[in-house]
Amino acid sequence: MFMVSIFLLLILFSIAAFFVKKKSWEFSMISSLIILLLVFIYALLNFWSGYNGGIISNYHLSLVPSIGINFSSGVSSLTLALLLLTTVIMPVAIYTARNGRYASLFYGLMMLTEVGLFGLLISRNFIFFYIFWEAVIIPVFLLIAIYGSESRETASLKFFIYTQLGSVFLLLSILTLFAFYYNLNNVFTLNMTTLLSGQFINGTAVPIFWKYFVIFGFIFAFLVKMPSFPLHSWLPDAYNSAPYPVTVILAGGLSLMGGYGFFAILLPLSSIIPSAVLWIIISLGIISLVYFALVAMMQNNLKRMLAFASAASMGFVNISFGVGIMETGSYGIQELTGGIYQILAHGLIIALLFATLFAIKSKTGKENIHSLGGIHREVPVLSSIFLGGLLASLGLPGFAGFISEFSIVAASYAILGPLIFLVIFGMIITASYHVWAAQRALYGPYNETLGTINDIGRNDIVVLGSLLILIFVLGIYPNLIFGVISKYVGVFL
Amino acid sequence: MIDYEWFIFLSPIIAFPISFTVGRYRRNLAGYIATISILISFILSFMVFLQIRGTSSPVYQSYNWFGDINVGIYIDHLALVMILMVSFVSLMIHLFALYYMGKDPNKHVYFAETALFTGGMLGLSISSNLVEFFLFWELVGVCSYLLIGFWYFKPNASSAAKKAFIVTRVGDLLFLIGLSILYVSLADKVASPLSIAYIVNPSSWPQILNYVGTTNLTLIGLLFMGGAAGKSAQFPLHVWIPDAMEGPTTVSALIHAATMVTAGVYLVARVYPIYLHSTAALDFVLFIGAFTALFAGTIGMVVNDLKRILAYSTISQLGYMFAALGIGSIIGDSAISFALFHTMVHAVFKALLFLAAGAILLTMMELRDVKKMGGLWKRMPITMTLMFIGAITLSALPFTASYYSKDTIIDASWKFFSSNGYSLFSFLPWLMLILGALTTTIYTFRFFFLAALGKPRSELAGKAKDPSKIVLIPLIILAIIALIMGQFQYLFYDFVYTNTIQVSIPYIVSLAPSMMVLLGLLITIPLYATSGWMSLDLRKSRLYRVVKNKYYLDRLFTNDIAERGIIPLSSGFSTFETYFSKSIEAIGSGTLKLGSFFRRLQNGIIEYYFVVLVIGISIILLIVELLGGF
Repeated sequence: MFMVSIFLLLILFSIAAFFVKKKSWEFSMISSLIILLLVFIYALLNFWSGYNGGIISNYHLSLVPSIGINFSSGVSSLTLALLLLTTVIMPVAIYTARNGRYASLFYGLMMLTEVGLFGLLISRNFIFFYIFWEAVIIPVFLLIAIYGSESRETASLKFFIYTQLGSVFLLLSILTLFAFYYNLNNVFTLNMTTLLSGQFINGTAVPIFWKYFVIFGFIFAFLVKMPSFPLHSWLPDAYNSAPYPVTVILAGGLSLMGGYGFFAILLPLSSIIPSAVLWIIISLGIISLVYFALVAMMQNNLKRMLAFASAASMGFVNISFGVGIMETGSYGIQELTGGIYQILAHGLIIALLFATLFAIKSKTGKENIHSLGGIHREVPVLSSIFLGGLLASLGLPGFAGFISEFSIVAASYAILGPLIFLVIFGMIITASYHVWAAQRALYGPYNETLGTINDIGRNDIVVLGSLLILIFVLGIYPNLIFGVISKYVGVFL
Repeated sequence: MIDYEWFIFLSPIIAFPISFTVGRYRRNLAGYIATISILISFILSFMVFLQIRGTSSPVYQSYNWFGDINVGIYIDHLALVMILMVSFVSLMIHLFALYYMGKDPNKHVYFAETALFTGGMLGLSISSNLVEFFLFWELVGVCSYLLIGFWYFKPNASSAAKKAFIVTRVGDLLFLIGLSILYVSLADKVASPLSIAYIVNPSSWPQILNYVGTTNLTLIGLLFMGGAAGKSAQFPLHVWIPDAMEGPTTVSALIHAATMVTAGVYLVARVYPIYLHSTAALDFVLFIGAFTALFAGTIGMVVNDLKRILAYSTISQLGYMFAALGIGSIIGDSAISFALFHTMVHAVFKALLFLAAGAILLTMMELRDVKKMGGLWKRMPITMTLMFIGAITLSALPFTASYYSKDTIIDASWKFFSSNGYSLFSFLPWLMLILGALTTTIYTFRFFFLAALGKPRSELAGKAKDPSKIVLIPLIILAIIALIMGQFQYLFYDFVYTNTIQVSIPYIVSLAPSMMVLLGLLITIPLYATSGWMSLDLRKSRLYRVVKNKYYLDRLFTNDIAERGIIPLSSGFSTFETYFSKSIEAIGSGTLKLGSFFRRLQNGIIEYYFVVLVIGISIILLIVELLGGF
């Protein structure tokens, strides 16, 4: 009930945000912080002791029980990790939108995005899962279309159509499960726990063809969201054209949707995923990692480079999922937990990078590597935070990304064998372009045409610095989250 | 929960934010905070020494970190000599840096970073788990990246920092694959698969052999050596270290003596049981080490940059340490003692040499060409005498410390030759090491004579003068240790490994290294102690050109692999990406006529549109809710 109350409060906040005309930034900032605080308190109360890996805080509200449409919600440690991610990202994104040229519509839409993500994560009924899946897309589409920079029309439409295409398959898969369950039991239900239970899915109720159909639909929908090569074309344009606050949400928040789908829906179905399909997922992961890293290396625009960097590090999630299901025992758990941790770490790190890049952009007016150069001389603190983000992003130990990348790489040798060298190649390229970009943009002789610029103020240091510290803490003391996530994973292995 | 031993590495790490923050307001305090934090580490290390010197049971604490990975400390005698050496040498360097970096406007950043650097190395030395080891390993890497690029406004410095980071990162990731293989072989079967305490415990080896298998052990050994080669600058991953000279000289001293390059040697020594079970991996270590010793020595003979000569000498000396470790198939665990003793000796005299070089470069305004120096002994007598002590130790002149540490390694390689039935293959390590000793003497006295003797060959060299005596105290301490350290050879061997064997080889062979020093002196004295080198023109010689171009390896990495390999590959992919994206758009707009759809949306009413949408959904939900009753 606590969780549902937070959710209702969030809905109220987001509706109110449309109508608060004065001080709308302050309003959305405070309300997102309240939500963060409440989720954090909820986590403290429920997860750091006695959690056993199941779904807790179940809440059920019958709406149209005759056809299975009910609102039911529940929280697992997977959900919790991503809820925390969403609620942490939100204040950062709103903070990025602080300079006041946005109307209340903007903040309302931002809050509505959070509503969608929040609802998606806590839903335990497929119809609401689907509604929120869609509900996230619409405000983001509008945000890009209204507030985006050059080529926003193409970008927002590409984003919309790609994800709609994924949603269609998602819906088809859900309806298939729904129909076959009715066929078997004469009961309409859309309850996720029921439809994904091993009892139903492993039995003979669903013919083998339709099982594959369901698997395919889910995987396709989630791969688009991830995004995985070759379904990624929407991503660089959307990230690039969106205004920075929206980019922060896109990169930090929306990127969790694909991964969440993998671990919340496909992991329970893992027994019916053929290993050939798992190998396709792994291959797409490795290709994404290497391909996006190589493409990112040549980008001159830092925002675009970070967009590809984001996509590349989501490749690890693919690898983790495919490899983890094929493995058994404790390193399978390590592998899958690493994948979930990667979603979390990636979201925080990429949000930090975009928020910091925004600060660079607003200080210098530039986001191209060639137009920057040597800015460390003028803005040492800002440039150090950006470097910290870059180092975290390339998976350096001490930052959260290392914990996940280590778990994924270390445990994957059993399945990948020599293929691991390709993963390592991708990681070397990743390291290279990160420090190469830092060398050209931050270091070297100062580009005097930028004139005199001031370093960031105290508020910026607090916001960006605390995000960096959070990433650091999660890299030094991962068991804050890692332990409870592995309990969730352990249920399925 | 956390005993005082933890503060051996925590003290400098905690000093990092403190000296940075305090230093923002009071620049001078930063250096003292960092130095004191390292003094604390040294004192704590010494307390551990007093505690465990008599026993063979290590200090061991371990806690769960994440999954089945643990974190903790493990201090046995091997780790102990490492932390004593690292904290002591780093302390000396910090003391000197108080003077050397005294006028730098960003010295608080410098001291914060060097403290972290030292903390990383200390943490690595006492890690109880290989993942924790890897964390500190990378911390050391990133600190070296920051410090090499400390003068970030110099294009050379920032590019050298990048190169160092990427090249060592290649090694690090090979190390990571090794960890991965070890992990998947042991996870599920033992409680803590990557625990160092577990690996070094002899009683766990029947299990490990059973679970991992000899093939995988060899593979792990090779991959770990790949990581060690990156950090410890062994062929072919040594290319970063000469460029790394762009940082402040005290940073070079830290990297070369205490905090970075010894990490690779220590890694191999730390997991030595893995190597002892794989002759192939040992031979690989031996040949890489011996080859690097000679290879880097030859380059050292033709370089003119004072710091780069010292850099190549480091690479070459590290080669000796690896060669010592590689002889383990014959001498067993004694190899660790031999390698570590040379590591200690090297740390002392290389710190001395770099600090002396720092004193010279400060007065020479960073002019590093030895051919532009000359006559410095007369102008800076104390500094040059200290440097002379460093130089004779480096060249292993009889009865200096290196004479004991390095010649033992060369002798052991003869043992390798004789124990392998005098095959040609097993002769090569000795040959390379003995020729390496010759190159060592030549490059050492070449640079020393060029800098110290003759007439000043530049205006700056003519005006050079000694810094005040107080700042030279750390150098004097180091010089004294370098002179007497050799006498403690067997004490040290027995401390590291109780049953260290004495290598006995024919007397005449054991004289060979000293003969090489003599030969080297016979070559260098007539050439470089006089002005004889001025008439020496080697530029026509093809061999000279090859060596002068560092065997074209830098060109291979930078030009061929990076610029002609990765960059075109990358730009090819980005071009593909552009076309890929364009063609998707073409398909989209062609079939769906999206443009007109969009224009309708853009009618200016979109803001109301959306509010209506939200209200609509709410009404539907409300109706559903009301109807839900029946």
